[in-house]
Amino acid sequence: MRALRTGLSLALCLMAISCGGGGGSSSSPPPPPPPPPATANVTAVIVDGGPSGNSVNTVFTSVTVCVPGSTTCQTIDHIQVDTGSYGLRILGPVLTLSLPVQTLTNGNSLAECTQFVDGYSWGPIALADLTIASETAKSVPVQVIGDSKFTTVPAACSATGGILENTVAAFGANGILGIGPFELDCGDCATATHGLYYSCAGTVCTETTVATTMQMPNPVTRFAADNNGIILVLPAVAAAGAPPVSGSLIFGIDTQSNNQSGTQTVLTVDINARLIMTYNGTALPKSFIDSGSNGIYFTDSSIAKCTDTGLTTFYCPASTLTLGLSIQGQNGVMVNNLTFGVGNTKNMLANTTFTAFPELAGTNPDATSFDYGLAFFYGKRVAVAVELKKTSVGTGPYIAF
Amino acid sequence: MRRFRSADSRVLAVLGLVLVAALGPCTAFATLGEPELTVQNDVAQLRASVKSSQTRLSYRVHEIQLPSGTLLREYVGANGNVFAVAWQGTSKPDLRQALGRYFDVYVAAPRSKIVDRKHMQIQQGDLVIEGSGHMRALSGRAFLASAIPSGVNLGDLN
Repeated sequence: MRALRTGLSLALCLMAISCGGGGGSSSSPPPPPPPPPATANVTAVIVDGGPSGNSVNTVFTSVTVCVPGSTTCQTIDHIQVDTGSYGLRILGPVLTLSLPVQTLTNGNSLAECTQFVDGYSWGPIALADLTIASETAKSVPVQVIGDSKFTTVPAACSATGGILENTVAAFGANGILGIGPFELDCGDCATATHGLYYSCAGTVCTETTVATTMQMPNPVTRFAADNNGIILVLPAVAAAGAPPVSGSLIFGIDTQSNNQSGTQTVLTVDINARLIMTYNGTALPKSFIDSGSNGIYFTDSSIAKCTDTGLTTFYCPASTLTLGLSIQGQNGVMVNNLTFGVGNTKNMLANTTFTAFPELAGTNPDATSFDYGLAFFYGKRVAVAVELKKTSVGTGPYIAF
Repeated sequence: MRRFRSADSRVLAVLGLVLVAALGPCTAFATLGEPELTVQNDVAQLRASVKSSQTRLSYRVHEIQLPSGTLLREYVGANGNVFAVAWQGTSKPDLRQALGRYFDVYVAAPRSKIVDRKHMQIQQGDLVIEGSGHMRALSGRAFLASAIPSGVNLGDLN
């Protein structure tokens, strides 16, 4: 029986529908059936409310970090899976390990002012041995956001504005796994300071350049195998939304039987990870697909916006709209005739047990951008290939689905 | 689009360029809601350089390359005050400097009920501050809604 069940699980895995691992209880009766065991390159992901319970359209996974070269390890859940950033960042308050901070040639500690559109995080760049599923990366740089020994945020960092996201509550996750289509979180920080990397002597920190080997990498690129990209697989979600949904994060593209490209359409992205989406007859050159965005963000002044406090930038049409979209890669490949729904945000959020909303949409402050967030991934198998890495259907950076 | 509308604005443009030239290689960065000439106060701190200055229909634009590589545009109305700033690059500019007295308003402003790290849309009184993008490609802008010259398309402030 057990062998049969394992076989079925493996078959499901190969079909890459909802392959997961870890955390499954073996004693509770079905339904629902426990997730199949993780294979070497697959880990479970979940779209739930996150550590604060109020996240929407935010996909999480678990990672295991160890003090380099040791068996002193910790598994941390609710790490956000983000194809729109680079690097593993863990919130200091949830980290029980003491990871060694990288030191520069002058003996100073390396830290980073991590900038997001809505705010910033601050913390040292340490080293850890990382394991996700059976993939491992030795001594990979990871940021410890809000580390208790690095509490003084440089003035130049806080001057970038917005919210200081140095706590789990402010960050909305226990960490973030940045696995977008590039290798590093900065293009040229080895030769130019961008207000990102800092050299710290005690609490005195100054901007610095830093060798690429010490910068924050997309950790997938540091795996011993399956390191050319990822495939994120999420189930289709009912239009009105759904309670937590589970999916799979598969490492590698065309490296194993479960991550073959097949007939996927390959859209290459530019140096800023951008695609060209055409909505309502207008080409939007700053568009992107991003698992780390929680809505479909685009500008259409004809769609009614919500009037409720805190929701005025989200759409609240009287009835659900079905709209058309085309997406063009930088390689000229065009995907036409896609449709997406825009529902009433206020009504959707009224169901507080729901965490996945395929039709949650809001205005985009940049009229030349269409940001298709996690909703794009529902019901799809989306591959993200890293720059310069080859697969059977092309060379990264690309997105394929 | 970029043609000057009148002889007057041509003269203004030339004066603007002369001003920019006079300020030398380390120049031009003004503060939201304050006169264009606040430029000089900020020069030393930002070590920036002006890439171009253009006069459009009813305002001037200074395009400034920060040492970080980030591009900052400042928009100056007919009254000589900065009514908008916009940026794009790997990192954000010093918004404390660019927003001046509005920086604290921005930081303290209430957030949307739905937030992620890729968007920001805040309106607090007259101040509107917006951002979009992802790591390695951040862009945003801030403007004073009441100070936007009539006829200016918000989409041009980017």
